[in-house]
Amino acid sequence: MKDAELTNPCRVSFVLNGEPHTFDTRPDEKLLDLLRRNGYRGTKFGCGQGTCGACTVLMDGRAIYACLLYAMQAEGREVRTIEGMGTFDKPSEFQQELIDGGAVQCGYCIPGMVMSAQALMEAESTYPDEIVKEYMDGNLCRCTGYEKIWGALRRVLDRREASLKADKAEKPAP
Amino acid sequence: MKLKEFVRPSSVEEAHQVLEELGTGGMALAGATALHFMQGEQPVTAVDITRLGLSYIREEGGYYRIGATTPLADIQRHRAPRWALHEICRCMATHQLRNISTIGGNISRVFPWADLPVVLLAMDASIVVYDGADEQEISADEFFRDQPARRLAGTGKLVVAVKVPALQAHHGFGSVKVVRTAAAFSMSTVAVCLSLAGEKVEAARVAVGAAVGIPQRLPEAEKLLAGRHIDAQTLDELARTVETGVACRSMEGMSPEYVKHLTGVTARDAAERAIQFARERAQ
Repeated sequence: MKDAELTNPCRVSFVLNGEPHTFDTRPDEKLLDLLRRNGYRGTKFGCGQGTCGACTVLMDGRAIYACLLYAMQAEGREVRTIEGMGTFDKPSEFQQELIDGGAVQCGYCIPGMVMSAQALMEAESTYPDEIVKEYMDGNLCRCTGYEKIWGALRRVLDRREASLKADKAEKPAP
Repeated sequence: MKLKEFVRPSSVEEAHQVLEELGTGGMALAGATALHFMQGEQPVTAVDITRLGLSYIREEGGYYRIGATTPLADIQRHRAPRWALHEICRCMATHQLRNISTIGGNISRVFPWADLPVVLLAMDASIVVYDGADEQEISADEFFRDQPARRLAGTGKLVVAVKVPALQAHHGFGSVKVVRTAAAFSMSTVAVCLSLAGEKVEAARVAVGAAVGIPQRLPEAEKLLAGRHIDAQTLDELARTVETGVACRSMEGMSPEYVKHLTGVTARDAAERAIQFARERAQ
């Protein structure tokens, strides 16, 4: 859909991947559709009903389904998509681990997986399996059976946890 | 649901005024996750109430007051000595949905599989509704007697908070939902809130949802538990009472008889959890 085709046009402004943006939209356009028609196609359309997690983005640091959010709800918020996570040349640590671990088959679920993992890494400082499952429970993969994705994430989280512990140990108590 | 306009009031008073003026042409929007699935030919104006300072959890006297636009994820993460809502919220939907779905939205329009209305009925919670002048406290029994959304539609009245009693010593709460997969809708959901006097149940509130059309209390089950010794026989009788006392619907390949049996077993499990909860927090 082009901007000219918008019915009841309105505007929404939010920070997208660190940059302020203003988009033309309409009251019932979903954030997923707005992102994709503006070129942010790493965020995938999967089920369209808040089940599969392929459309996961972060809003104010929290993972949400972009298919179940009206774009207007993002007004003034901070939104991050997979485009803000890494590039082909410089993938994020988890993306690199997914590649190295052969954890990507069709790849359709991966942007959502990466975003949910990012929310987990930013919000928590320890990563017991129970917490990891809680953060990842809204992302489905129909190819891999999850084992390799889980393994890749676990390796990243174990390194991160060790690094956070080391940082803490170095800092003297106040 | 088709939206024709999107407005952002700056206060609860303004939100009420806008909703009242719009009548049935307006709809309060919080997480809005259910709105995407609602059918309706007439486009409505969405009134965004997520920026009105209604996202909080406060302890007030003997209650926890939860703001209407508090996301389920915040309720799940909240911890306090006499707080019990986190466990059921962890079992609701997925991480992404819990981050955006709100308690007010979840209870204002009751879907058959909803868990929170069942929990609030069992806990004797009250729902705070702003009517343009004052806040009215409505008991969960009254609020869920039929579809709240039908009563609220077009009036401008707005759910602004939920008040949940803080559990006292010897009080216990248990909630169990049966699902096919972790994030699926409940097939049966039962909540039990009780108080113990030694090894006896002093009083209990039992509520059921999903298996029945609309969430409801189970007076027969409550009567059965009151004054009874806690033992396997009591719990078996509870399961049988629930099984025979509720009119269940068939669902997803399950006969009403099977759903009844499932609900009885679920009630037993919920009561066991409530008893364990009370024993662990005896002080």
